[in-house]
Amino acid sequence: MEKGKISSLQMAVMMYPTIVATAILGIPSVTAKFAKTDFWLSPILASLMGYVTVYIAYKLHKLYPEQTVIQFSEHIIGRLAGKIIGFIFLFFYIQITGIIIKEYAEFVVDSFLINTPIIVIMGTMTVLCAFVVQGGLEGIGRAAQLFVPLFIFPLLIAIILVFPDFEFKNIFPILGDGIMPPIKGSIVPGGWFTEFFLMTFFLPFLADKKKGMKYGMLTVFAVMITLVVVNLVVLFVLGTTTQTKVYPLMNVARYISFGEFFEHMESIVMAIWVVGAFVKISVFYYATVLGTAQWLNLSDYRLVIWPLGILMIVFGFWSMPNSMDLERFNLETFPIYAVLIQTIIPLSLLVIAAIRKRKSKRNSKGINSG
Amino acid sequence: MEKVKRRHFRKSVLLFLGICGTIPLVSGCWDRVEINDLAIVTAAAIEKKEDNQIELSIQVFIPKSLSSGGGQGGPGGGGGVPTTLVRSEKGSNISDALSKLQSKIPRKIFWGQCKVFVFGEKVAKEGIKEHLDFLLRHPQPRERAYVYVSKGKAKPILESLPPLETYSGEVMRELTDLHIGMRVTLQNLDEMLTGKSHAAALPLIDILPPGKGEKKLQGIPYIVGAAVLNKDKMTGTMTEKETRGILWLRDEIESYTVTLKPKGEKGEISLNPVSAQVKLVPQIQNKKWKLLVKVNTEGSVIQNGTNMILSSPKALKDAERSYQKEIEKRIEMAFLRTQNKKADIIGLGRDFYRKYPKQFNKIENHWNEIFEEIEVEIDVVAHIRRQGYIDKPAGLPEKEVKDK
Repeated sequence: MEKGKISSLQMAVMMYPTIVATAILGIPSVTAKFAKTDFWLSPILASLMGYVTVYIAYKLHKLYPEQTVIQFSEHIIGRLAGKIIGFIFLFFYIQITGIIIKEYAEFVVDSFLINTPIIVIMGTMTVLCAFVVQGGLEGIGRAAQLFVPLFIFPLLIAIILVFPDFEFKNIFPILGDGIMPPIKGSIVPGGWFTEFFLMTFFLPFLADKKKGMKYGMLTVFAVMITLVVVNLVVLFVLGTTTQTKVYPLMNVARYISFGEFFEHMESIVMAIWVVGAFVKISVFYYATVLGTAQWLNLSDYRLVIWPLGILMIVFGFWSMPNSMDLERFNLETFPIYAVLIQTIIPLSLLVIAAIRKRKSKRNSKGINSG
Repeated sequence: MEKVKRRHFRKSVLLFLGICGTIPLVSGCWDRVEINDLAIVTAAAIEKKEDNQIELSIQVFIPKSLSSGGGQGGPGGGGGVPTTLVRSEKGSNISDALSKLQSKIPRKIFWGQCKVFVFGEKVAKEGIKEHLDFLLRHPQPRERAYVYVSKGKAKPILESLPPLETYSGEVMRELTDLHIGMRVTLQNLDEMLTGKSHAAALPLIDILPPGKGEKKLQGIPYIVGAAVLNKDKMTGTMTEKETRGILWLRDEIESYTVTLKPKGEKGEISLNPVSAQVKLVPQIQNKKWKLLVKVNTEGSVIQNGTNMILSSPKALKDAERSYQKEIEKRIEMAFLRTQNKKADIIGLGRDFYRKYPKQFNKIENHWNEIFEEIEVEIDVVAHIRRQGYIDKPAGLPEKEVKDK
């Protein structure tokens, strides 16, 4: 179905903005609500979730090297049950992609294009991503390679420019209320780290399959470092007010005043946001489209791109009628929802598959000897 | 051949139509903003009016004034044309007043360049919480904008026409950037109020009356001290001298002059510039809360009115000792004054929390009472580093110089 091949480095640059893009904008404040001044520690704890998820995804891939989760779940637990699991995955990804599109548009409307109808912003981004998905996996990989530097570079510039305003003392007290607050704070970013499960849709198409695990783990590490740095920057600039902000990184960028003339730098955040959201939505979109086509046993996944795009936009509106709901969803629902679908279900699949493999090995051994 | 050509033609027509179709989408019609449709707010003032209403005054920049005043008028002509206009409107809160103001201004009000917010004294006394909410929630006002409290009414401050700068908002901003008084941005204010000390200090401004021969409105706003806010309500004021002491405690000393009187001498010695590193060390000993203030300061002599010649080691030591005493005195006075005001505007609560989080959490609810009781110990290390272009006091006969 997918004839393209990508390198594992391309997979890494696709996964990096997929996690980071939405996590750096709103998550610092959500984490700070629980962890107070220790919220920079939370991504370190949360990244454990990422390592576990990558490990599960890679082990499943090892058992079924040519298949994605939609296909091998049928092999593991039977045709009907496998289809049901496949449907749960697809439902999850359609809904989450819709929510990401809505989240992207919500921020754009909130801070820049106040009068523009939100459907236009959602629609244009979806159309753009649909074209990239139409181009296939290689197209997304190349686009990510091209855009990720444009994502990292402005972020570094913003951090350097805001450096004079750092109040390093804001970091104290470290662990003033014990270890519990950062652990509670890590639950939400942990949900983000489970998105690494999307790797299962790319691993079968790697040109260098052996490096898949290594690059997956490296990406988790890179994401963790990025989140820790961003959280520290936010903490140094905003201090205790972080938890009241909806988009703390935006407030930080607005606070830049370098030499009296480098001011009003919010466009940096906008550039990061648009580029990051583009890669993120494309990756999610592609995984959904490929999965749906495999679930329906279609010969070409391009057939379902446009219908699914419309469905995603509709899901965005249905799931998130307003930005307060979005905040609550990210805070309360998403961490559990994401961990359940992207870590716990795959983990049980892996356990069942491992038991079955052992059983069949024993059986075949029994036949041989007998 | 023919078929291929036709297909090629059809493809290019489709591509052309496709490009035409996307053009209306890429221009962003809905949020197109022309600069000449904007009324750029340079400063804003909020005041209390009768029957629970507030008055919002905004100072709007007039772009026309720059082009007409600068071109022909030459050096003298600039002063005649005002570069800003002030409009005000009453309402139940800022956004209500703003919507009414918009009907009086033909251009869309734009907050993005507003660097100065002034709260009237009355409004500050009743609480600035709800007004702060607007300023922090609205996407346009900047977190870096400066916040002030005016002595008396706030509107005249916007209306004044300063002779030196183009408008009064600029005067306040420039004065604040000199670091003479307090410098508080919206972000700082938010942090102070939501932080552990539940108190804040804002620079207090008043209008300097116009000098002789100047027009009535030509008085400029200047910083006269600080307003003390307990929670979000103003409870008192600090004089300029006390505010300087607070600046020492908050380690915000810059461009500062210290004048001291050495023991047993007639005149005074002034030091400028003075630089200082201030460290506040919170201590809890036997359940007693103490504060150790460690100051390391140095300065250069800029004026010497005594008979001492500072190149003699003993005279220098004397001068340094009185310099040290002077700083100690200032800091102690400022600290006692804040304790009298019962508002922790130095941010000590935060410092104590950072060092003793567990102990602080226990007493957070009655922190103000503890703050009043805190003992302070001041440890100043003061040095005079340079003496300027002359070593002996000027205009003094050789014999009268004290060369100990």
